[in-house]
Amino acid sequence: MLRYFLRRVALTVPTFVALMFVTFVAIRLVPGDPVEVRTGERGISPERLAIARHELGLDRPVWQQFGDYVWNLLHGDFGTSLVTNEKVATEFLTLFPATVELSLAAMLLAVLIGVPAGTIAAVRRGSAFDHTVMGASVIGFSMPIFWWGLLLIMLVSERLGLTPVSGRIDLIAFYIEPITGFLLIDSLLVDQPGAFLSALHHLVLPAIVLGTIPLAVVARITRSSMLEVLSEDYVRTARAKGLSPLRVVGLHALRNALIPVITSIGLQVGTLLAGAVLTETIFSWPGVGKWLIEGIGRRDYPALQGGIMLISTMVILVNLGVDVLYGAINPRLRHGR
Amino acid sequence: MAADVSSTTESAGIAPPTPFADFWSSFSENRGAVAGLIVLALIVFAALFADFVTPYSPIEQFRDAFKAPPVWEDGGSWRFVLGTDALGRDMLSRLVHGARISLFIGLSVMSVSVAVGIVLGLVAAFAGGLLDTVVMRIMDLIIAVPSLVLAILVVAILGPSLTNTIVAVTVVYLPRYVRLVRASALSEIAKDYVVAAKSVGVGRLRLMFVTVLPNCLAPLIVQAALGVSDAILEAAALGFLGLGAQPPIPEWGSMLADSREFIRSDPWIVTLPGLAILLTVVSINLMGDGLRDAFDPKLKRS
Repeated sequence: MLRYFLRRVALTVPTFVALMFVTFVAIRLVPGDPVEVRTGERGISPERLAIARHELGLDRPVWQQFGDYVWNLLHGDFGTSLVTNEKVATEFLTLFPATVELSLAAMLLAVLIGVPAGTIAAVRRGSAFDHTVMGASVIGFSMPIFWWGLLLIMLVSERLGLTPVSGRIDLIAFYIEPITGFLLIDSLLVDQPGAFLSALHHLVLPAIVLGTIPLAVVARITRSSMLEVLSEDYVRTARAKGLSPLRVVGLHALRNALIPVITSIGLQVGTLLAGAVLTETIFSWPGVGKWLIEGIGRRDYPALQGGIMLISTMVILVNLGVDVLYGAINPRLRHGR
Repeated sequence: MAADVSSTTESAGIAPPTPFADFWSSFSENRGAVAGLIVLALIVFAALFADFVTPYSPIEQFRDAFKAPPVWEDGGSWRFVLGTDALGRDMLSRLVHGARISLFIGLSVMSVSVAVGIVLGLVAAFAGGLLDTVVMRIMDLIIAVPSLVLAILVVAILGPSLTNTIVAVTVVYLPRYVRLVRASALSEIAKDYVVAAKSVGVGRLRLMFVTVLPNCLAPLIVQAALGVSDAILEAAALGFLGLGAQPPIPEWGSMLADSREFIRSDPWIVTLPGLAILLTVVSINLMGDGLRDAFDPKLKRS
């Protein structure tokens, strides 16, 4: 197990090195001069420009800049935003909980609806319910979520007036000092009646939008994996023993059917983060996705560089975690290959 | 149905079914796939003959009809069946021309990434060693960056345009083809027929492309079909963020973005482009399911 773990960790090292190299090169290829962006359009004297360049280290040879970059990254310094002058890592970590909260809510929704729907569809294979679930899942899987978000805002927020259009909480009524960064938790910790409901209220629509594609995937995988498990001998044995159908499906079959579902959830982290960019843009959700898009608009190189570095690191670590966990559960994987 | 059965029994005695007949019999069992194919055929037809099918040019502005509602709404007329957008351009014409753009993006991304994927995947599988490691680590790297974030980065470097959208989305989807080809090639290489071909002195290139490749095609075709719809979605998302095709090109994603502010007053301008994307992507995905049933019954979609 330890050998498997170490080998798996070692495999991610070259990916990291390459990631550092690529983010460094890529950002330098982006058109537009960061110093001019920072000093404004009206222009300043050449001497001041040179000083600004020197302060940012942009006058040094490129390979030295790369060396500095790697050195700083290894010391946890992901650069300083050109626009806000804040540490990129600090900005990222302030905004990241909002993205995580949204993604977790979306995933929770996908699992809570997708697993029962997929299970029932498998048990009642060929029924109207099964066809509805499969049809809905194709549509969900194909959904352009930026349009879906706009549509829901149009119907639910504008026409019916049921949910707020943007943001994480009613900022006029509540001010909540971040403790964990997760508003649902923070709003419970502080003593402000209604704050939790307001946060929940704001979360519903974005979570539905972001959860749509994962929901379709989870329902589909649950159904096909359940169909497979239901034809296994041990399920027949459990039935023959006279166990109630609910017990057979819910306890014996579901436990094994869920393994591929759990794997697929791990693999969807990247998809969720990509979807978060769109969802956050539509709902003005103050997370890292919206922040990245704004970074492009402002030509904030270091923010983009650090942001992409940090997001990718998260994805690599989560995938590593899933793989290791999977190796722990499934010994065949450890010894194969 | 009855006619089908009799024709198969008839031909069974005379000759084995042609590969196409074989394919069609399993494909047509999936009713969703047939429906998808029909809708997709209509969309492709409209896209190919966009200039003849549509009443107006997609960039022609009618200054007497800004935001004209579609026929079924109050005040709509048959002059603009699906209404006009904020600049007085005919929605129907723009949507049909948009189909051309989206399908072009989807097919270009798919063909380039499949071609490059085949070469890189086969080289990685056959060369092994350092080259294999390098190629696969690069693919891991691409996978580690969330798809849209990577596409955004590529577009930020190259600048927003239709061509760069294709480049960006191709980069994003390359790893899945490389991995697929490499994995199936590796499992083929160990088989007897490849060993036999090697022992009679078949050259390396011939071994790669003529002996092994045809046996890796089934999952690749399925993946490629689904890849077209993914590419269309991704490109539309870039267009929506303002990083894709630039105006006045009638790209569905950017049409949506341009009309966001009219979501309250004139909802059809927002609704129609999204519906067009959804319809196209659903029909391709349904067809892809049928292809999978026909080519690769064991393969499960994840």
